Amino acid sequence: MTTTTQASRPTQAASTDVPRARGRGRRDDNRSALAFLAPFLILYVLFVIGPALYGLVMSFFDTSLVKSGLGKFAGLSNYVEAFKSADFWSSMWHTVLFTILTTPPLVILSFIFALLAERATHGKWFFRLAFFAPYILPSATVALIWIWLYTPDLGLASGVVQKVGITAPQWLGDPNWAMWSIAATTVWWTLGFNFVLYLAGLQEIPRELYESSSLDGASPWQQMRSITIPLLRRTTTLVVVLQIIASLKVFDQMYIMTSGGPNFSTRPALEYIYDIGFTDYRVGYGAAASTVYFVLLLIVSAVWFLQTRRAEKKV
Amino acid sequence: MATLTSEPKQFTARKGATKTAVSGSRLFNRLCTGVMIAFSIIWLIPLLWAVDTAFKPNGETAKLPVTWWIDHPTWGSFASILRQGDIWHWYLSSFLTSALIVILTVITASLAAFALSRLKFRGQGAILGFILLGLLIPIQVLIVPLFREVGGMGLLNTYWAVILPQVPTAIAVFVFKQFFDGLPRELEEAARMDGASTWWIYRGMAMPLIKPAIAAVSIFTFIWSWNNLLWPLLVLSNPKLMTIPVGLATVQGNFGIRYADTMAAALLGALPLIALFLFFQRQIVEGVAGTGLKG
Amino acid sequence: MTTDHPAPQSTGVSRRGFLGGALALGLGAGALSACSTPLGAGLAGSTLDPGTVQYWNLFGGGDGVRMQAMEAGFEKSHAGIGLSSVTLAWGNPYYTKLSLATLGGAPPDVAVSHLTRMKTLQAADLLAELQPADLARHGMTADKFNQTAWKTGLVDGKIYAIPLDTHPFVCFYNTDVCKKAGLLDSSGKLKPITGEQAFMDALTKAKKVTGQYGATIAAINETSTPWRIFQSLYSQLGGSPVVSAQGTKVTIDDAKALKILTFLSKLNTTQLMPGSLDYQGAIATFAAGRAGFFFQGEWEITTFQTAKTPFSMTKFPNVYGDAGHYAVQADSHTLVIPKDSGRTPAQLDSALTFIRSMLDQSATWAAGGHVPAWLPYRNTPAYAKLTPQSNYASAADAAVYDPIAWYSGSGSDFEIIVGGTIGAVMSGVSSPQSGLDQIKQKLGVLAKTQPPTR
Repeated sequence: MTTTTQASRPTQAASTDVPRARGRGRRDDNRSALAFLAPFLILYVLFVIGPALYGLVMSFFDTSLVKSGLGKFAGLSNYVEAFKSADFWSSMWHTVLFTILTTPPLVILSFIFALLAERATHGKWFFRLAFFAPYILPSATVALIWIWLYTPDLGLASGVVQKVGITAPQWLGDPNWAMWSIAATTVWWTLGFNFVLYLAGLQEIPRELYESSSLDGASPWQQMRSITIPLLRRTTTLVVVLQIIASLKVFDQMYIMTSGGPNFSTRPALEYIYDIGFTDYRVGYGAAASTVYFVLLLIVSAVWFLQTRRAEKKV
Repeated sequence: MATLTSEPKQFTARKGATKTAVSGSRLFNRLCTGVMIAFSIIWLIPLLWAVDTAFKPNGETAKLPVTWWIDHPTWGSFASILRQGDIWHWYLSSFLTSALIVILTVITASLAAFALSRLKFRGQGAILGFILLGLLIPIQVLIVPLFREVGGMGLLNTYWAVILPQVPTAIAVFVFKQFFDGLPRELEEAARMDGASTWWIYRGMAMPLIKPAIAAVSIFTFIWSWNNLLWPLLVLSNPKLMTIPVGLATVQGNFGIRYADTMAAALLGALPLIALFLFFQRQIVEGVAGTGLKG
Repeated sequence: MTTDHPAPQSTGVSRRGFLGGALALGLGAGALSACSTPLGAGLAGSTLDPGTVQYWNLFGGGDGVRMQAMEAGFEKSHAGIGLSSVTLAWGNPYYTKLSLATLGGAPPDVAVSHLTRMKTLQAADLLAELQPADLARHGMTADKFNQTAWKTGLVDGKIYAIPLDTHPFVCFYNTDVCKKAGLLDSSGKLKPITGEQAFMDALTKAKKVTGQYGATIAAINETSTPWRIFQSLYSQLGGSPVVSAQGTKVTIDDAKALKILTFLSKLNTTQLMPGSLDYQGAIATFAAGRAGFFFQGEWEITTFQTAKTPFSMTKFPNVYGDAGHYAVQADSHTLVIPKDSGRTPAQLDSALTFIRSMLDQSATWAAGGHVPAWLPYRNTPAYAKLTPQSNYASAADAAVYDPIAWYSGSGSDFEIIVGGTIGAVMSGVSSPQSGLDQIKQKLGVLAKTQPPTR
């Protein structure tokens, strides 16, 4: 995080030495700050902190979606069930697997594309359009387009593969292929975001560095290794972590393209929670599963936080 | 949920940045251009294929071998989706909910950010930390309790159920706060000397100065709200109230295996965003680069 | 403002109070004037289109086409009542959406539900009880329905669902193959197959003709079909319900279950009925004449009619039942009225009129293979002449529905767990014994779980 510290403010204000303004500011601020903060804080407590606490409480009860009240106290049994449930862990694994499958291509490809685009002599707007346009599409549009591409026999994906002379797999119907197919869709959909971040990172690199190294006779390849990659480290950390966090929250593509199938082979953690809470009506257990899932996200976020801190100190 | 990183200075600083480094041989650069053109075209194929399919008559989409050629191009699929009517309701829902989310987010988050950045009050650090906590809690992990809570309020199946939980995003507060932090202190003090109220400093002075941040937050909040599936899927049941993604994802049964109709619906659902993107391409791209916002 | 209907579990702030406040917060009151428009409903929670019948169903494919024809039929004959129908994705997503809509106080007026899933919806208190007097006003009395479907649909003697059909597990047979194999009688119909030996013999003869398989069935990446054949055979053997006491007890009969699993696994090892085909593969193989028999729900009739396969249909063979005891797995599509405290008597009448109209169009529905539950059509000569559909009509009387549990019903966790394991036995991945152990272990976990319904 790059939040600026508040500590420097009072001294700064004091040094300007405008007693009337300062004095009035003090008096006003407590009250007006409250007024300024209230709208956000009310909604924030109502729709973020409140539900978070409510969910935590609920996770210790056998709460049902279709019955009022919290239901019977369940102690830790919901958590025990989650920890013992093979289905829960396999859905958690699918979320992690999806992250593993999507993050490297999304980072590496976007980096390569950004490098190439940076060197390109013409048509940068076109590259940006081509790569970034999919990112702004709704997941439902993306999913419907790719379901059609993946349709056995009739879909373009099968058509292309068959033209090469290979029998096309059941892209979404075969448990061994479905996750890969969804991962490919996701790479297509969200690569543009990372691409743009890398383009911005590249623009930050001072031109003189390249010029002087050119004079020293460095090849483009050497320049990339000694200048571009090291100087893009911060962008890379950013891209990687944002990517991991986004991938861990996957739901839409699976829900629409496979409903988590075939045979649950693509059901991510969020869909498990959805199924448990809203299909099976077991919101108490669903809340417990959410909490465990939340801890996973928290760990990743913590790692990210520490990483950024360290990266910032270095720069 | 979104995550925030990197300082906003880039955003304003970059406008004046020198033309970036391009060295090495011309030939090598030409080669790069060629490779990129090839990849860009590959990247556009799924979209082009969707457009191609949408202009085919439904019967032609099931013909083998798979071909780009259209024997009888037609607007029929678009016309039938638009005539059938559901999509107009979905547009309305999506526009209304997204617009209200944007407006309420910009107002509430900028107010809070202004207080955190420019005012001095008791418990400031604690409140900052309290809101910081929100960065770590994505709405996805709250769906179960949130559904019951919103149900208890009697809001299910109204736009408010979609709107209100999506307004308090900590990320927006932090984006605004960073921009407010970047404003020179002297301006504000001069204004105060002239007897300006805190409200005026916020509304009349600070807000106009952080227009880029407002634009970035607005555009991204709009895109996320428009594209959000999970939460609206839970709270909107009446097909006439559904947003575009929910409608496309649940009512697909109507389209069956009429692929041209399905593609026409999918494209129509994305059309407003595609238009938005074409109009605001630069702002959107700079917003990404400058604020590191990600859905 | 038109009526507002509080959500079932509404507590604390009233809907109207909260919405009023929310409106005052940011919006002009202009939206309020538009009452029964989506805008009014979305912003102020007013009821949408109170005059029309909102109808939800989950039918795709051929069923979807026929249902649309029936909806058009209703609109034509009842021009005064508007109809707004929605088709949602089949299976769990449909039932989830239906539950959430009812909890949210905005359910459809009429919805399709499998009979087995209806039990769960009822236990969750999401369905309106139907009063015999109201039904009688629309000419719907108990004696006019298939009794097995009607009685299975009752909960403590109360009516919550109107059965539209019964869809049993049936036997498709290739008439060319079976004729060559000498399995047809003089009128070209399949000679009855009774007993394990006769079943094996018939498959063996068919296999000799096709040179490949005796029968095909979906066993890979498929959970419902393995469960359907297991449940049919197991019930013929007189096995106790797999789970009972609302799903809180696992009461599977080990010996009988093991016998069936062993039999199914033998059909695979002998390649009389391979366990290596998925849903489409099993269909394609049968349609191509590479198997004499195909076992599935009757709805696949349209597929083979379209494919111009030389085929006919009959009841699934009685492999284990004594002469007098026939049983076969089945479910029914029923029409239910979700609970809605704001529903007026007039709206209820429109809903019942719609349901009656669906029953009256049973002829359209039956063409798709489903055995009509509506006896006024079922007992007509017209239906008797509808072949091969009427060949297996009596299967509806011997229908065995999935056991009742909050996790059971068509497309449910139960079918997924049990069916998935049976599929593994059928394809030789699991042994019969380990399959049985796995079923008992997994169901044991669900049985011990506190049911979310009452």
